[in-house]
Amino acid sequence: MIHQKFFGEKPEKVTLDNLEEALQQAIEIEISTIPTYLYTYYSINRAPSQQLMINTLTNALLQIRKQPPYNFDEATAIALDISADLMVFANKAGALIMSVAIEEMLHMALSSNLKQAVAGMPVLNGRSPATWPAELPGHQPPLKINTARLSMKQLETFLNIEKPMKPKQKNLKLRRAYIPYPTIGEFYEMVVDCLENNPDIRYNTHSPQLVPGKGYYAQNNIDTIYYDKQHKPVFTNEDNSGDLICVADKTSALDAINLIVEQGEGQLVKNAPYLDDENNLIFSELLRYDFTPKEGEESSHFEKFAEIYQMYDALETRYDSYNIENINFSDLFVTNIANNPATTDYPAHIAPVSDLINGVYTYIFVMIEECYRKSGSTQYETFMFGIHKSMIFILNSLCGDIMKLKYKTTEGIEYNAAPTFENYPFSPLARPKSQLQNLYKAAVAAYPSISYLGDRINDLPDVDLK
Amino acid sequence: MATIDHNKELSMCGGTTPPPATPGAPASIKPPVELHVCMGLNACKGHDRTGSNNCAGTGFCATAQQHNCQTLNNCRGQGGCGLYGDALQQENPGNNNCAWQGSCAVPIQAERFSTLGSNKGLSTWKLARQLFEKRMREANRNVGPAPFECGPPQNWLVTVLGSYDSCGNSGDKRCSFGFNNPEDNAKALCERKSE
Repeated sequence: MIHQKFFGEKPEKVTLDNLEEALQQAIEIEISTIPTYLYTYYSINRAPSQQLMINTLTNALLQIRKQPPYNFDEATAIALDISADLMVFANKAGALIMSVAIEEMLHMALSSNLKQAVAGMPVLNGRSPATWPAELPGHQPPLKINTARLSMKQLETFLNIEKPMKPKQKNLKLRRAYIPYPTIGEFYEMVVDCLENNPDIRYNTHSPQLVPGKGYYAQNNIDTIYYDKQHKPVFTNEDNSGDLICVADKTSALDAINLIVEQGEGQLVKNAPYLDDENNLIFSELLRYDFTPKEGEESSHFEKFAEIYQMYDALETRYDSYNIENINFSDLFVTNIANNPATTDYPAHIAPVSDLINGVYTYIFVMIEECYRKSGSTQYETFMFGIHKSMIFILNSLCGDIMKLKYKTTEGIEYNAAPTFENYPFSPLARPKSQLQNLYKAAVAAYPSISYLGDRINDLPDVDLK
Repeated sequence: MATIDHNKELSMCGGTTPPPATPGAPASIKPPVELHVCMGLNACKGHDRTGSNNCAGTGFCATAQQHNCQTLNNCRGQGGCGLYGDALQQENPGNNNCAWQGSCAVPIQAERFSTLGSNKGLSTWKLARQLFEKRMREANRNVGPAPFECGPPQNWLVTVLGSYDSCGNSGDKRCSFGFNNPEDNAKALCERKSE
C-alpha cells in the first residue's frame, strides 16, 4: 500500500501545503518505473547462441512447403541473416532498456535530493509497488504497469509511461491520494510552478544528498552498450547526458527537474502525429515517425522505447514473411517468464531464492535512505560497497540465476522463474542485514549454486531500519 | 643535594646500546612482492605469477586476486577497469586507491574497452600499460615488451585459467555474427588512437 495521506479534494496543483507529498510522490513515480523496466530487461537473452538459432531456423526453413522449396544454401543464408539481426536487436533492446533504467535511478536520486532540500527526508524503503500489476502513482487516466516479458504490448506500456505532454489537461478528477497528472512531465511542471511561485522557500543545504563528483553515477557502463552487426560497440547514453545535482537553491532545483523531464520525454514535438488531441498515443503513426536524434544528442526514454518498438515490429514482420511454423519470433531471444509473478506463485525450491532477491532489492532502498542520513566516508562506503555492489553484482547475478529455474502453474503452464521485485518486509526486531543473511542461507539450501554470493552479502554495510 | 631520577629504559650517553624492549624479531624478512592486475604490468623481474619473468613489463599473468567485477578487489592498485565506474575510475586501471574501490575485473582481457572517460571506446589494457610505463619511466626503470602487444586475448585467458569472463551482460566480447572477423576487430581496438 502507498502511504500517502489526503491533501485536498481537488489537488490539481502543487502548493506549499502539499509540496512534501508531491515530492514524495515524485520519488515513488521514479521508483515504480525501475522494476517495470528491469523485469522486461531480464526477460531478454542478450546473447543467445547464434549457432543454435541458425540450426533451428535452417531446419524450419527447409520444412516450409513452398515451390520451389528452399535449398540448404538458401536456408542457411536466410538463417544467418535473420539470426545476426536478432542477435543485434536483442542486445540493443537490452542496452537501451538498461540505459533508461539507470537514468530512472538517477531520477529517483534527483527527486530524493529535491525532497531532502525542500521538505525533508526522502522515504524509499517499502515504496516500490506492493503488488503487480500496479498503477503509476497518480497518473490520470490510470496507467497500469506490469512486470512482463518483452513484447510489443509491454513496449506500449513503456511508451505510455514516458510519453511527452500535450496542452494541459484540466479538471482531472481525484481518484486516489495522489496529485493527478496526464504525463510525468506535466506533474513536474506543477512542482516547478510551486517553486517559482514561492521564492521564499528555504533550501536545506546541510542534510546529505547524493552529489556529483564522487563516482556515484556513470552515464555508460558495459550493460548500456551493444555490438552492431560488425561487432563494433555502440554506446546508448551520451557522456554529457546528465549527472547528479546537489539541490541547494531554486536554480539547482529547476535544473534537477528539467533534467528528469528532458531525459524522460525529450523535446516536445509540435503537432506530433503520434499523439491525438486527448494525448493518447497512435501506435500506427509512431511506427512511421523518424525518431533519429541529432548527432551527439541522446535520445530521450520515449525515443529509445520508440526505436525498440519500431525495430521489434520490423523484425517480426520480416520473420513472419517466411511463414516459419511452430517457432515464435520472440521465443528465439525472450525467456518464457510469467507476467506479474509473486513469490507466493513459486514452489518450495524457488520461493526462498525469490525472497532473497526481494530482500536484496529492498535492502538497496534501506541503504539509499542511509545515504540521506550520513555524509562523507560513511555515505561513500554505504553507496559504493553497498548499493553499487548489491545492484551490479548481487542482484544482477541472482536475477540471472533464478531464471535458470523452472516451475509449473496450477494450470500446468511451465515458466522460467523471474525476480518478482516485491518489497521484502524486514522485521523491526532484528537488523535487516542479519535477516538478509538468513534469507541467503535459506536460498542456498534450496539452490546451492548461488553459494558464491555468500561473501558478497556478508561484506555489505550493516544498516539498520529507522 | 638534588637527585636525578634514573630511567633504566633510556639509553644514556655513551656505553652500550640497550637491548630492544620487545622479543627478538627475525633477522631478515622476505620482502612482499608488489601485486599487479595483468600481463605486462609487473614492476620487477620475478614478479610474474610463476616468478620466472626476467624484466619489468614482461610477465604473463596477474598476481592480484582474480575477480570479475567492480568493487571486488582486495586492495589498492588491484582493481581492473572498463566495465563500470565513472570517468575518473575508468582512467585508472590498476591504480585504484583502496580495497573494494576497483573499477572492474582482473585480469584485463585485450578485448575490453573503457565505457566512460577520456579512454572511452579504447583498449583498457593499453591504458593500464601506458600508466605502468609512465610509472616505470618516472622511476628510471627499463621495461620489456609484454607477451601480447595489446594484452591477453579472451580465448588465451580461457585456455590458461580454465574459464574466465568479466561481468556485464552485453554479450561476447570476441565473436562474429557472421559479418565480421574478430581478429580484425581486435586489431582495430589495439591500434585505435584517441581522436
